[in-house]
Amino acid sequence: MSNAASIRASKSNSILADLMSSKGQAVLLMLPPAFLLFTLFVALPLFDAAYYSLFKWNGYGTPTDFVGLDNFRQVLNHGIFWQSVRNTLIVLAVSLFIQLPLALGLALMVYEKTPANTLFRLVFFLPYILAEIASGLIWSFVFDGNAGVASALFKSLGMNPVFILADRHWAFLAITLVVLWKYFGFHMMIFVAALQSVPKELLEAARLEGAKRWEVVRFVQVPLIGAAIGVSAFFAVVGSLQLFDVVIPLTNGGPSNSTHTIVTYLYTFGLTRTRIGFGSAVGVLLFIAAVGVSIFYQRQTNRGSK
Amino acid sequence: MANVELSNINKTFGAIETIPDLTLSVPDGSFTVLVGPSGCGKSTLLRMVAGLEAPSRGKISIGGRDVTREEPSKRGISMVFQSYALFPHMTVEQNIDFGLRLSKTPTKERQKRVDAAAEILHLQPLLKRKPAALSGGQRQRVAIGRSIVRNPDVFLFDEPLSNLDAALRNQMRVELADLHERLKSTMIYVTHDQVEAMTLADQIVVMNAGRIEQVGAPMELYNRPQTLFVAGFIGSPRMNLITGEAAAKLGATTIGVRPEHIELGAHGLWKGRLRVAEHLGNETIAYIDSELGELIVRINGDQKMKTGEVLQFQFLQEHLHRFDESGRRIP
Ligand SMILES: Nc1ncnc2c1ncn2[C@@H]1O[C@H](COP(=O)(O)OP(=O)(O)OP(=O)(O)O)[C@@H](O)[C@H]1O
Ligand SMILES: [Mg+2]
Repeated sequence: MSNAASIRASKSNSILADLMSSKGQAVLLMLPPAFLLFTLFVALPLFDAAYYSLFKWNGYGTPTDFVGLDNFRQVLNHGIFWQSVRNTLIVLAVSLFIQLPLALGLALMVYEKTPANTLFRLVFFLPYILAEIASGLIWSFVFDGNAGVASALFKSLGMNPVFILADRHWAFLAITLVVLWKYFGFHMMIFVAALQSVPKELLEAARLEGAKRWEVVRFVQVPLIGAAIGVSAFFAVVGSLQLFDVVIPLTNGGPSNSTHTIVTYLYTFGLTRTRIGFGSAVGVLLFIAAVGVSIFYQRQTNRGSK
Repeated sequence: MANVELSNINKTFGAIETIPDLTLSVPDGSFTVLVGPSGCGKSTLLRMVAGLEAPSRGKISIGGRDVTREEPSKRGISMVFQSYALFPHMTVEQNIDFGLRLSKTPTKERQKRVDAAAEILHLQPLLKRKPAALSGGQRQRVAIGRSIVRNPDVFLFDEPLSNLDAALRNQMRVELADLHERLKSTMIYVTHDQVEAMTLADQIVVMNAGRIEQVGAPMELYNRPQTLFVAGFIGSPRMNLITGEAAAKLGATTIGVRPEHIELGAHGLWKGRLRVAEHLGNETIAYIDSELGELIVRINGDQKMKTGEVLQFQFLQEHLHRFDESGRRIP
């Protein structure tokens, strides 16, 4: 009886006891720095941006010209914004449905540890290592209508050379191609690492059971690297939403604003025109989209792990 | 039902010849156990029979059919891995009928076979679980179940019990013996475990550095080891091997005597000092520093002994094994 009583007593004290315990003390000690950093560099800028988005403000002095949701109204009524959303969605779709399968296919070809495969992996990964600005410049030479590889190709086919990046129909397609080229190696590496961690006996067992190569991929390898595919897809979506630095050197959003992404739109119409309030509004919209994606992703992975 | 014939098999990895030239005959319906030290090529041999590894030279036939270049799944074999190799994302049932689903076996037939396997291996209550929710012994049973449903002619096992604890290993060993009794299929079984080899096998194959040292029934290997290597490898505690004058007197380079064939007593020919005695209850194992070198003696029952005590002993002459300088048995 007295035992039970003492247990109950200790339970009611347990939160306090937890904090006083060495583990609790560790938490008290470790939490403030992380909390401070998060507040300073994540939370505060976000709140700032949300706040500025309610003002007509050029970035100098303190914002005073409160306009409510007018910035958002302007953004949502701007045709070029919707064009940039459409472009972003195109990049997103291409990343998910062309780039990822391509990366997976290549990963399946080069994941085994042989000297030749190491070389291939390096080559495929190179575009990702290259600075975005540099890749943009390289590709702008390739696409150049006078001297570029692309124009030589057109000529050899007996066609008139096209200034691809200056062509409303082709420019964004070219950008998408560069994005695909630049980032497939990154996704491939994620898949390579995941494939290498699948025990070899599982593949052998599947083979013994009569699975053909593609059946091993379909029924064993892909299900077992599901988590990596999820991570990859997440990166692809977030990367598409934030796409910026490949576009600037290639087209700078042109011709006639047809190749903007959400971020280059923000940059061009918010920052370079010193409409910080307007730009902040775009940023807030983008942030909401990113959070939506994150929540969706977390939901999916939590459901998968159950 | 099928016998397995390996003729002049050679396996070379890069520059390393793992198996130089090996010929082995596994009779139909036999339980053949491969034993040998780590790295001697047991797994490699088994994987060649399975088709997971191609021999560099030589011929493999199963049931009289040349399968040297045949796909693993078309050889009429199934294999149980040491790591079980269960698919973690499938339930027990899906693991077991994976091959049947791939071969588009009709649902009814599939169900029948899964039920039969589950019955034999007591898996019915586990069919809807994932491997992560099973104990080691249960996982092993699932792996065996997966190999049963395909009705293979030949079962291959690569150290299937070595991840289990001692009690479970005993139980599974008996179950494997039952399974062989019931299915009467040919089984080839790799193990490190003496007890498994001695109790399960019709035929033991002792391998050393890619070569076969001796093939024979368990008691034949125990009673008449043909080489020094087999003499030292089969039996636990191991056979005492004695060189020098004592061996020369008997016309041999080395003589071997099993621990249970040394007799302690006041009338013994040789003397030694007791280093350690291990009391196992049903027997006592004595480690003796003697004039013939270090010897192991097994005594039935529990014998009181003091460390450092001087003991006299002699060998049971009819149980001596003699070997020549090349390590071969002198008849
Ligand atoms: N894929 C491979 N490439 C190169 N060498 C290999 C390969 N597979 C096995 N070997 C070598 O062949 C030899 C035999 O290996 P194997 O796995 O057959 O030994 P084992 O008898 O099964 O040993 P254990 O009892 O430790 O499982 C070893 O020396 C090993 O290093
Ligand atoms: Mg092995």
